[in-house]
Amino acid sequence: MNAYHVMLVHFPIALWTTAALIILLRAFSAGPLARSADRVLAPLLLLGAVTGALGFAVGLAVWPIEAVTSSPLARNHVLFASWALAYWLLLTAVRWRGGEQVWDGLWRWTMLGLAGLGMGLQTITGTLGGYLAGNPSAVSQLLRALGWEVFTTFYLPTWLLAGLVVAAAALVALGWVGRAPRTARLPVVAVDAALRPVG
Amino acid sequence: MQTVFRSRRSKLLAAALALFGSALAASWVFHGTGVVRNDLARNIYIPEELAMPLQVKAAYNGDRIFFRYRWPARQPSIYHDMLRYEGGKWVRYGDSETGPQPQGIYEDRVTMLVDDGGVPEFEKYGGYITVGDGMRFFTGQASAEAVKAHPYLGKKGQSEVGKHLPETRSDVADWKSVVPEERLAAQRKAGYFLDLWHWRAHRSNPIDKSDDQVIAEARYSDKGKQVFFNNWDPEKKQPRFMLDPDKTGGKIALAWKDLLERKLGFDDIYYMREDQAKPFDPAHGWKPDDVLPRRVLRAGEGSAADISVVGKARWVDGFWEVTLARKMDTGNTEDDKAFMDQRSYTVAFAVHRDSMGSRWHYVSMPKRLGLQRNGDIAAAKFLGEEPRWDQPWSEVKLFYPGQVSWPMLNSAKHAGAEKIRQGVPLKFRHSEDQLAHYGVEMEFNDEIRNQWLASLLAGLLLVAGFAAALLFLVPRKEGAV
Repeated sequence: MNAYHVMLVHFPIALWTTAALIILLRAFSAGPLARSADRVLAPLLLLGAVTGALGFAVGLAVWPIEAVTSSPLARNHVLFASWALAYWLLLTAVRWRGGEQVWDGLWRWTMLGLAGLGMGLQTITGTLGGYLAGNPSAVSQLLRALGWEVFTTFYLPTWLLAGLVVAAAALVALGWVGRAPRTARLPVVAVDAALRPVG
Repeated sequence: MQTVFRSRRSKLLAAALALFGSALAASWVFHGTGVVRNDLARNIYIPEELAMPLQVKAAYNGDRIFFRYRWPARQPSIYHDMLRYEGGKWVRYGDSETGPQPQGIYEDRVTMLVDDGGVPEFEKYGGYITVGDGMRFFTGQASAEAVKAHPYLGKKGQSEVGKHLPETRSDVADWKSVVPEERLAAQRKAGYFLDLWHWRAHRSNPIDKSDDQVIAEARYSDKGKQVFFNNWDPEKKQPRFMLDPDKTGGKIALAWKDLLERKLGFDDIYYMREDQAKPFDPAHGWKPDDVLPRRVLRAGEGSAADISVVGKARWVDGFWEVTLARKMDTGNTEDDKAFMDQRSYTVAFAVHRDSMGSRWHYVSMPKRLGLQRNGDIAAAKFLGEEPRWDQPWSEVKLFYPGQVSWPMLNSAKHAGAEKIRQGVPLKFRHSEDQLAHYGVEMEFNDEIRNQWLASLLAGLLLVAGFAAALLFLVPRKEGAV
């Protein structure tokens, strides 16, 4: 199954990378090219999520589950793959639901930050996959310099796990408090206008 | 009104971003904490350093083969296994313990496993093949009673499961499944054993010797007289020997304080030699904190005494330098591997330091030693009695192996088990650093797996919470796609 997993994961990597480039372009440009590219962003993200989920499922069948859950590298690969998948799904949903308004105000930079984080998770996942497939890269040295040895399992202490659960609940509450009414057009901060070519 | 509402939502979005970012940052900073810790009750002690260097040179002249080893150590540990007089009794200090011996009474060592092809897996997997089921000082080690009660191992005087070769068991995952005695004898005759050069800073070095052992169905001393023996009378619960003051410059015993303060150096009496000892006299006025070594050194005889120290093995300026030599062919075909010109051999090294014994050592991957043949270590051929040692050192990286056994490596728990069955060598997929970390992780495998799974789920929950926040807060407009 390893060969099929390696083949399949190229699709989400390519699709999500393209999506990240579109987000980068659209964050800094409201020109026709950026707007045109943005129109395919949501379907591109969705396709990335579907192929990503498929690659994830096939990847779980490469080794016996006992081996996957006993190998630090494999554990890390699964953890970051699942986080990356969830993360890109989140971006998909936000872009789908928010439409073009995600390029307004703080949302523009939020989208850019989300894309950057998604690319980071995807890069880590790919690096770990490379190790498992016998193709280690120098990215692990960067991660080591940043404080994580990839040969050790990435896990969190129990107190922090509890903190994450609380943070998740707080995030839902924050959203609920400020939930947006379904309206026609909201006033738009003039960033788009400012970025539009003059004349 | 809309602007006010929008401004409030922007603040909430900023708060959500800050909260999510903080959670991620905390996860990055505190990952990998809270599980790995020393747990002596489970035989777990994690050394401060997981890897160390060793330098090796080899040379031969057709009659003798020489190995020179050099490695860093904070201090020399040359005391070992002592009997301290306290409360009217002799109490043992310096036995094998989990992690460092608290009083620093445990000797430094360098060991080398040698094979000539008789144990084919050794070339690919090194010492891992000798780590079987129920190993001593592993979590869940076989009990001394069970080993003593084993019909074969008990008869051989074993009380622990030590290093052994896989095919000496009918089931590698069961230490008890020793193959029949006749088969063991045939295996040994056919060369299915590893030669173990075993230099000890206390139990052999003061008399310029090295211990010489063999790994087969267990770890044994080579035939003949080992270079040390026990100084303990179990029936009388007292030492069998004491220092002879006529031969030690007036010294009858060591002083406990001198050991604790590491006052005794290479030129002092910190050991007991057979020719400097006399029968123990219980009527001597023994004082509290008198100490007698629990091991007595002797020249040894036969195959067990084949290996000698050349010059003096000493620790100087933070490094041990030890040179050992032996006849290339000792003629002891069932416990020594003979060295021949134009052949290559597989060797693997280990170092014990920092007053740690048993499995708290640093080991190497298998290395090829070439006698005029290609190898990781090229043995220099020379004429004369002693080598010039003008060739460069071969650098070998040693690592802490943790609790990784051959049965585990061949089980469904190991993703590379299939590769082992295919004969893929260890070095093809693993580095020393990787193996060191894996060794530690395996000591906490269940705890780490649980914590990893919980972390994975908590991370997903965090992303879900963040998603909910963003989806609530994102401004929706008609026809958004």
